[in-house]
Amino acid sequence: MSDGSPDLPEAAVRRLESNSFSSGLSVPDFAACLDLGLQPVALVQGFCVMQWGWYGAGSGYMRGASPYFGGQQYPGAYAETYRCPHGFVSTEHRTWGQNIEQPWVEAAWAQGYGSAYARMLEEAALHGAHGAIGVVDRVSHLADTGTTEFHFLGTAVTVEGGPPPAGGTPWSTYLAGQRLTKSIEAGFMPVAVVAALASVRVWAYCMTEYLMEGARTWGGPIGPQEVEQVSKAHMAVRQLARKHVREQLAGDALHGASIQVEKRELAAGDEVIDCTLRGNRMRRFKEFDEVPAPRPTVRLT
Amino acid sequence: MSSPPTADPRAEMLQGARSLAEAPPPGEARGITSDLSVDEALLLHSAGWEPVDLVCGVAVVSVPVGVWNWGQGTISAATDAHNTAVESAARQLRGECTKVHGHGVVGVRVQVEVRPHHIDVELVGTAVQPVAGTDGGGTPFVSDLSARDFILLKGAGWMPVGLAFGACFVYAPRRSAGVAMKQKTQNVELTNFTEAMYTARESAMERMQRSALDAGGQGVVQVRVTEGPMSFARHAVGFTAWGTAVRLVADSHQFLRPELVLPLDDAVVTFEAQSLRGK
Repeated sequence: MSDGSPDLPEAAVRRLESNSFSSGLSVPDFAACLDLGLQPVALVQGFCVMQWGWYGAGSGYMRGASPYFGGQQYPGAYAETYRCPHGFVSTEHRTWGQNIEQPWVEAAWAQGYGSAYARMLEEAALHGAHGAIGVVDRVSHLADTGTTEFHFLGTAVTVEGGPPPAGGTPWSTYLAGQRLTKSIEAGFMPVAVVAALASVRVWAYCMTEYLMEGARTWGGPIGPQEVEQVSKAHMAVRQLARKHVREQLAGDALHGASIQVEKRELAAGDEVIDCTLRGNRMRRFKEFDEVPAPRPTVRLT
Repeated sequence: MSSPPTADPRAEMLQGARSLAEAPPPGEARGITSDLSVDEALLLHSAGWEPVDLVCGVAVVSVPVGVWNWGQGTISAATDAHNTAVESAARQLRGECTKVHGHGVVGVRVQVEVRPHHIDVELVGTAVQPVAGTDGGGTPFVSDLSARDFILLKGAGWMPVGLAFGACFVYAPRRSAGVAMKQKTQNVELTNFTEAMYTARESAMERMQRSALDAGGQGVVQVRVTEGPMSFARHAVGFTAWGTAVRLVADSHQFLRPELVLPLDDAVVTFEAQSLRGK
C-alpha cells in the first residue's frame, strides 16, 4: 500500500470520491486553518501492525547479538565492552558485559512507523492534498499478542493557490490552528513529522550486577558510586535517537521535540532501554520578522 | 514601543508552501533541535536568544545494600548517592551544551527515581545561545525555568547560574513498645515522623542553598520539593528540593511594571448540559 498505487479498499475510494470533507480539527483549529488559506479535504489515516519476533531467543535476528556468543553485531552500531577486574572466579561470574545498540529493533520500529505514515500520506495524496496538519500518532501494543500497532491520523489540506509539494508527497505536521499559524508567521514551514527509536541492550558485567543489586562485593558493602555501564547506556540511547532524527532533518530544524524513554529490566543491571524522539521538521522560508519585546501583563481574573 | 508588523497569514502560508516546491538548500547546515514550543522560541528570539540543540544528562548511582534497614539519624549513603547522581547528570548536560556551543540550558525537566539499590537522575532541556552566536566561554548555566520565565528573569536583571539541588533521607526513629501500645487507640501526632521530616528538610534545604552558593548564585527561584516515606521502606523519609540558582547581573533589580489586563471574555459557563440532569 505504501508504494503510492491507488489500491485502497473500495469503501475508502467511495468515501474519498464524495464531495464532502471530513477533518479531525477542533472548531478553533478549523477556523485558524481557513484563516491561513488552508482548505480541509479529508481525515486521513494510516495503520501498520508489526510483530516483535526479533526479541525472541530463537529468532534469526538475535544470532550473534549476544556478547556471550561474541562477534561484532552491526558495522557502525554503538557497542561498548566491559571486562571483569577480578580474573576467573566461577563459571557463573559475569566476566564481561556489553552495551549494544539493537539496529534490528530500530529498523523494525522504523518500518512500522514509516509504513503507517506513508499510508496516511498516500491517502492525502489521493485527495490531491498539499499537506496534512494536526497529525496524531499512536504506538501501542495490541493486547498480549506480542505485536505493536502504529496508527497515524491527520487532516489533509490544500493550500489555496499553492503549488503541489515537491515529489508529490504532501508535507505534514503535528501542529494545527494557532500553533501552526504562529510557526508560519515566524518563518517556519512544516516539512514532515519525524521520529526515530533507538534501542540499547545492556548485558551487565560483574561490577554492574553487584552495584545494581546493592553494591556489595566480597569485602562487604561498598559506598555509593556511579554505575558507569548503565549511565553510559542511558546517555548512548538518547544520543542515538537524536542522531537518527538528525539524519532525517537534512539541515532543517526540529521543533517541539518530545523524548520518551522506556526501560525493561531483565535482571540486575540487564536491561533494554528504548528511546523515542519525535517532532516537527521545519524549514525556514524567511527570516524572523522583528519581534517586539514582550510586555508583561497581569490578568485581573 | 513600535507596533508589531501586520502579517498576511495567507500570503505567508503560500510563501511557505512555495518554498517546499523548490529544491531544498544544500544539507550541510546542522539544523537545530529543540523541545520548545513556538511561543517559547519566539519569546527567546525577541530577547536576542535562540535554541541550539536538545541536550540530556543521565546518571545512575548505586545505593549500598542494607542502608534502608532500621537505624538512626541521616541515611548518609542514600543522601550521598542522590547528590552524586544529580551532580553527574548536570555535568553531562553542561558537557553536551558546551559541545554545541550553547551558553546555557533552559526548560530542564528533572526526573529522579529512588530505588532500593540505585538512584536514577535524568535531565533533559534545550541548549540556547544569543542570536549573534558568540562563544559563551564560561560554564554554561542549567535552569529548569521555562523560556518565558528565563526571559522575565533576564528582563529583571538576573541570570540563572545553575540547578541547585539538595536531598536528604532520614530514619524515622522507632517508638518504644510502651509508647506504641499507649498510642494505639489515640488520635495523636507521631512526633518521630514529624521530627524526621524536619531533620530531612533542614538538611536538604541547606544542601540546596550551599549548591546555589557554590554555583555563584545569590538565591534560588522556583524551588520544588518532594517529601514523604519511601515506598519500599516506610520507616525512612526523604526530602528533596531543587530550583534554579540566580544571580543579579544588572546594577540593580529592574522593575518590570506589568500592565493590568482585564479580559472581556466571560469565563462563566452559561449553559451546562449536565445541570439538566440535576448534577
